[in-house]
Amino acid sequence: MDELTKTLHERFGHASFRPGQRDVIEDVLSGRDVLAMLPTGSGKSLCYQLPAYFLPGSVLIVSPLVSLMEDQVEQLRRRGEKRVVAFHSLLDAEEKWHALTSLPDFRFIYASPEMLQSETFLAALRRVRVSLFVVDEAHCISQWGYDFRPDFLKLGAVRHALGSPPCLALTATATPEVQEDIIRTLGMERARRHIYSVDRPNIALAVERCLSVEDKAARLAECAKRLRGPGIVYFSSRQWAEEMARRLAQNGAGRVAYYHAGMDGEQRLLVQQQFLYDELDIVCCTSAFGMGVDKGNVRFVLHFHMPAQLEAYVQEIGRAGRDGAPSLAVLFYADGDRAIAQAVAEAELPDSAALREWCRRLPEDAVRGGWRAAVDAGGFTDIQKRLLAYFLEWGQTAAPEQLTAAAKERLYERMAAAIEARRRWKRKKLREMEEWVHAFSCRRAAIVRAFGEELSDKPDACCDNCGLETDRFMTDGRRPEAAPVRPWREELWHMFFGGRRHDEAAK
Amino acid sequence: MRHGYASFLLAHCLRRLNGERTLAAVYHLLSGKKSAQTLQDCKWFQLAPFFGTWKDVTMDRLEEAALVLVRKQRAAPVHDRTYILTEKGRHWLDEQAAWFPRYVNGWRYHEIEPLFWQRLSLIGQTLSNLSHGQRFIPICRDERTLLWVKQYLLDKRSRQTLARALYDELTRLLAAVSEEAATVFVLRLTSARRIGWTAEQIAAWLQKDVLYVQFQFRNVLHYMMAEAEAGRAPVMAELMAGLAPVQLTQSAQKTYEWLQKGKTIDEIAALRRLKKSTIEDHVVELAANVPDFSIAPFVAAERAAAIQAAARALGTRKLKRIREALGGIASYFEIRLVLAKEVGRWMN
Repeated sequence: MDELTKTLHERFGHASFRPGQRDVIEDVLSGRDVLAMLPTGSGKSLCYQLPAYFLPGSVLIVSPLVSLMEDQVEQLRRRGEKRVVAFHSLLDAEEKWHALTSLPDFRFIYASPEMLQSETFLAALRRVRVSLFVVDEAHCISQWGYDFRPDFLKLGAVRHALGSPPCLALTATATPEVQEDIIRTLGMERARRHIYSVDRPNIALAVERCLSVEDKAARLAECAKRLRGPGIVYFSSRQWAEEMARRLAQNGAGRVAYYHAGMDGEQRLLVQQQFLYDELDIVCCTSAFGMGVDKGNVRFVLHFHMPAQLEAYVQEIGRAGRDGAPSLAVLFYADGDRAIAQAVAEAELPDSAALREWCRRLPEDAVRGGWRAAVDAGGFTDIQKRLLAYFLEWGQTAAPEQLTAAAKERLYERMAAAIEARRRWKRKKLREMEEWVHAFSCRRAAIVRAFGEELSDKPDACCDNCGLETDRFMTDGRRPEAAPVRPWREELWHMFFGGRRHDEAAK
Repeated sequence: MRHGYASFLLAHCLRRLNGERTLAAVYHLLSGKKSAQTLQDCKWFQLAPFFGTWKDVTMDRLEEAALVLVRKQRAAPVHDRTYILTEKGRHWLDEQAAWFPRYVNGWRYHEIEPLFWQRLSLIGQTLSNLSHGQRFIPICRDERTLLWVKQYLLDKRSRQTLARALYDELTRLLAAVSEEAATVFVLRLTSARRIGWTAEQIAAWLQKDVLYVQFQFRNVLHYMMAEAEAGRAPVMAELMAGLAPVQLTQSAQKTYEWLQKGKTIDEIAALRRLKKSTIEDHVVELAANVPDFSIAPFVAAERAAAIQAAARALGTRKLKRIREALGGIASYFEIRLVLAKEVGRWMN
């Protein structure tokens, strides 16, 4: 057994590598910059976690989501790794600064992009020997990625400030143009690309055309009741997720809960863990659910609303069948869904009248550091603010020191043009999604083509356009009802002593 | 009862407020707004137990609840957004005495309740999984709680002994509340066999109002903390270690630290990139909550005395009237500060 496999076995408890992992790891260990696109569920995180045990110094991992970071940290700790730390804004400042002094002691340093904007944090990082700079969910870097995060753009500069350590960019979904963006933004030189097909052969694909929203709801209810679970149903709004969770539960779909970003942290964690431990059959959710939910046996992913981009759709259905067993993805479509998707997609774009008004009201000295306050006070939503800050930075380079009325007008025009370009791009992506929905040819081939690949092998259970019978995913057996709840005294007793015999516990 | 707990809570507040405050005051009270006005209302109308007990309440929910009360002739509008309870309403409220969360003490516990619960549920989950010999994913992600619980368990000689003590204490405490409240509480706990249920899941199972379930749960938590403080629940008291009842908001705490370093309000506003009015709110909060906090640097002694006298003479807490009575020489900030300090004296 070679060293890599040995470590894989000892540290991570796996007997062998999954496709792609070994090639990526070997390139990383040879000090190359690597862009790895591996399908969801293929064990992307292993690609930097394993090398960390061979590299000197620390591995720095930039991750877009706090929950994602927490999941990774938690997983590492469960494997007995103590030298792991995460920095994000939610941590109490005091602990943060304490951990900073001992930063070089950590093997894994997770950080949010915004933490990397902090001078104090960067200064501490410079004292660390960062042997690998990892960007997780790297498609967030590209404004042409479906989940663009403007603060990712600065990662190239951060990497440079840290002496340009070797870089590993990981993603599950990046079209060729997004891949180019990633490489350019991170300043990756002669990057090795490991691009694996986005295709997930064990996930069968289908679209159900419905006559109306009501028809859609009825068919979803029927489907959810009969499909072998557990499964996830995606909605574009919190209200729909909540409403349909109730309807599905009433309709005999088993144990159903909803999940969205409007819930408090504890509630979200409870639902996520219930699902993980098979205490739920179905989660009705918004796109907030899924990243970091590492569950192998998800048997179906349904979409009650069409996502605004094919990439988002691929990412979401990718949560099915990570164990490799046959799974199903069904998208329900009714007329009017396009408008909903468009509204959701364009909600991040500030209204042009509001933008003009905001530009006019900018204080004259806003160029010098006043931007943030001005953006915060503008009455925009969080996501709009993020985008606005990005466009501002972009438009600002040409702005003069003093913001005269004419300069403000020019700034507005530049920003408006940038926003308009983004709107056009979003519409183009939406059209692509819609065309996929209405396609008569193989859906799998179409997905793969959108990512610049050709489909080589078609599975038996391919898609509705290839004659898929969804019956094979149905079950006759009723779902188990929730475990009967014991009286509270017994429940409590079992909680503390259930693992032992009664007489032993009574001692 | 599948709906209607909001109406019950509102009816209780309306009875105490007796037509002297609008729904906005109820909103600020339940959501736990730390303004001088709300802090005074708490004391004045004896509603302190409900302070901060319904943090995500919305004006819409309250208006809806008010509408229900009016439709059932349990309340009647007196002015815009102001209601009083009718005779029928008072009678109804008395009949629902069983719904009343008698141990809830929001004023004292609303700040520390989440941390106390995190510790308790994480320790429960940990001990349960140790007993079952299972690995698990912590039900809490708050780094502070994770560290605290880890240290707490390391300090214990025997986990078995702790499990026994915790089990005994929980059983005893839960026996003192209603069977239903005890059931709600136990269902919220996470064990090796079952991830805790959300309030909503429990409500669906019991066929009860979610808000009612939340208050039942809170009632038990506050009861446990009160017993701990009274020296009758040693394990709970350990879980409360370092959690000071009635705390400042984090932001106000920051402002306090800067003030102690000798910075002025304007300097702090600039340093923290916050509005001056926000910093002033912090100072008011400090005046109300920190017993030895001096307001002398912010309002001259003479003026403070004048404000106090005017407030007493007018028998009002309305800032505008006090300001008018003083011929406009005092700022709203100064008036709020003096009133807050006064309230602080009653409360602490």
